[in-house]
Amino acid sequence: MSASQHGLGGLKYDPKKRHRPPELNVFFALIFIVLAFEVLGRLIVGDSFLFNTRDRVDTLFNEPRLKIIILQVAIIGIIALGVTQVIISGGIDLSSGSIVGAVAMISTAFAQASVNQYGMENLKPILGEAYLNLPLIVPIVVGLFAGLIAGVINGALIAYAKIPPFIATLGMMLFARGVANWTTKGVPISYLQEDYAKIGAGMTPVFIFIALAVLMHFLLKHTKYGKHTYAIGSNEQAARMSGIEVERLKVLIYAIAGILSAVAAIVMSSKALTGQSGMGLMYELDAIAMAVIGGVSLAGGRGSILGTCIGALIYGVIISGFTFLKLDAFYQEMAKGAIIVGAVVLDQWRARKQAAKS
Amino acid sequence: MKKAILAASLTAAVTGGVAQVSNAADLAFAAYLFDDKFTTILRNGAQAYAEANGHTMIQLDANNDQGRQIDQINNLIANGIDAVIIQAVDSTAVQPMTQALKDAGIPAVFVNRKPVPIEQLDGGPFAYVASNEIESGTLQTFAMCNQLRAEGKSDGARGYLLMGQLTNEAAIQRTRDAEQVMGLDMCNFMELVAPKTTAEWQRTKAQDIMTNWLSTGEPFDFVIANNDEMALGAIQAMKASGISMDSVVVGGVDATDDALAAMKGGDLDVTVFQNAAAQGAGAVDTAAKLIAGEKVSREVYIPFELVSMDNIDQYLDRNK
Repeated sequence: MSASQHGLGGLKYDPKKRHRPPELNVFFALIFIVLAFEVLGRLIVGDSFLFNTRDRVDTLFNEPRLKIIILQVAIIGIIALGVTQVIISGGIDLSSGSIVGAVAMISTAFAQASVNQYGMENLKPILGEAYLNLPLIVPIVVGLFAGLIAGVINGALIAYAKIPPFIATLGMMLFARGVANWTTKGVPISYLQEDYAKIGAGMTPVFIFIALAVLMHFLLKHTKYGKHTYAIGSNEQAARMSGIEVERLKVLIYAIAGILSAVAAIVMSSKALTGQSGMGLMYELDAIAMAVIGGVSLAGGRGSILGTCIGALIYGVIISGFTFLKLDAFYQEMAKGAIIVGAVVLDQWRARKQAAKS
Repeated sequence: MKKAILAASLTAAVTGGVAQVSNAADLAFAAYLFDDKFTTILRNGAQAYAEANGHTMIQLDANNDQGRQIDQINNLIANGIDAVIIQAVDSTAVQPMTQALKDAGIPAVFVNRKPVPIEQLDGGPFAYVASNEIESGTLQTFAMCNQLRAEGKSDGARGYLLMGQLTNEAAIQRTRDAEQVMGLDMCNFMELVAPKTTAEWQRTKAQDIMTNWLSTGEPFDFVIANNDEMALGAIQAMKASGISMDSVVVGGVDATDDALAAMKGGDLDVTVFQNAAAQGAGAVDTAAKLIAGEKVSREVYIPFELVSMDNIDQYLDRNK
């Protein structure tokens, strides 16, 4: 499925040089990690990681565990979709986590109800009485618009002011976190409407993640937008010479990333039933890590949404696996670090071998 | 600004005129940052108590800048203040302030943030007023232990412990205290199903960790959380999985608005209130004693207060 991407960047496509798609390697890694937890589980805690071992439940698999594996990475996964296309275009986005914080505060401020889930009256509306019980569309549109603005500013700074993506998005990271803290001076926003609370309830975050992943996959693989994104990531000069409007495209790429961060913020604040200025802290790095594990190259031009999704799943399996093995949180962080570095080392090694072959 | 000065001098005139107290003092409250909910309740509590006792008090905002706070203290010394109450920006670097205050012979009360090392307060007219972190985790877990006993689970109760940030003093202390209570003869029927895990004080992280725990299908009776946010996250995860909150005892710390609402709704069982206003009042009281030359112990502790279904109504608007 990824054969077409190797024909980009002005290289001649040669079917003989076709090789295993990189996503397959990531997928094997996922299988390997799952099997490792299955074996370790049976050896250490005497239980199965994947399969149901409870008598009173009649299912083959441990469904709650399979669900939480995806659920706990769905929100960062949504951010990672945006970050993936940014990295493929040769850029980086450090601002996504802070945009989550800012949008969470802005959206929830417009999503307050006059009574909470326990029937208690909201005595301190953030924006005043007039802004209580607004239709659901208002917080969503306002939130997405805020994300869009942040993304457009990122893109404009990079494309037109010619600031390196690292610096531009670092600035936005600090600025957006400032906005998040400023909105209510750090006071959390509660008393959210029931309709708003439904966005992130149950498995809905997973469905939103999957729907957006399919959409982004389609955008990157089957539209001009996607092909041009790969093109400027592989060789910006060549892309420009061949008539791609690089500046406009970059603004669009960062704008989409901003909107996806906003979606994550809305889902997250709904899931937690609160808006808090610290939301999304360090999520930008988790999102980048998911993409990198999934085979997205920080040099640009290489990677896919599918890879990032598998990278996200690896993340989820590790978190659940370590909880399942009853191991401390410390080990979890060490393992995450090792896997990120390991993934890139393998990737580099594969790339070198490939270069030597051709 | 003009208005504030006018108001301050008015209150001074009124209270001074009415109260006619002989020991009326000029106090200053040096806050680390005004933009902080706890600090706001703390300094307003101090202000109210000072005025009620005939003192005048000005408030200063260091804006989280240690250098600025030192300048503020030196200015106060130069202006001839009677005593200062300091909520230190950096509690490990208060030495320049204590030195200057000691040289000028001006009493100081450190509030809420403990100077490190505390021994440096010994040489001068200094004291430290705060709540003792040892109490919060103890009160919380002991109340949960009692509730579990009352529910007839004293022959064995299993549960989980959600920790705050692993590098944080309060998280370490509260966890240690919870473990100590679970080691008491009276409460050693409580045992952890899985090792304590950090959710970094966050509601969403706690939600995910709780859901992971639920996926193991092990029965459990209680969830101890180092703060209310994590307790609320655990509650949301349990409710999403259809677990009745009557069958699980959940405890947090902080008595936040959301936590009190959850307790009112029957989801949260125990939380602990840190009385900021009482800390402010205690600081003013201690400052007045230091000015009068009375003997004051180096550390003055304002008790944490246990909040449960029995007394929740008196806490509902305390955070405002």
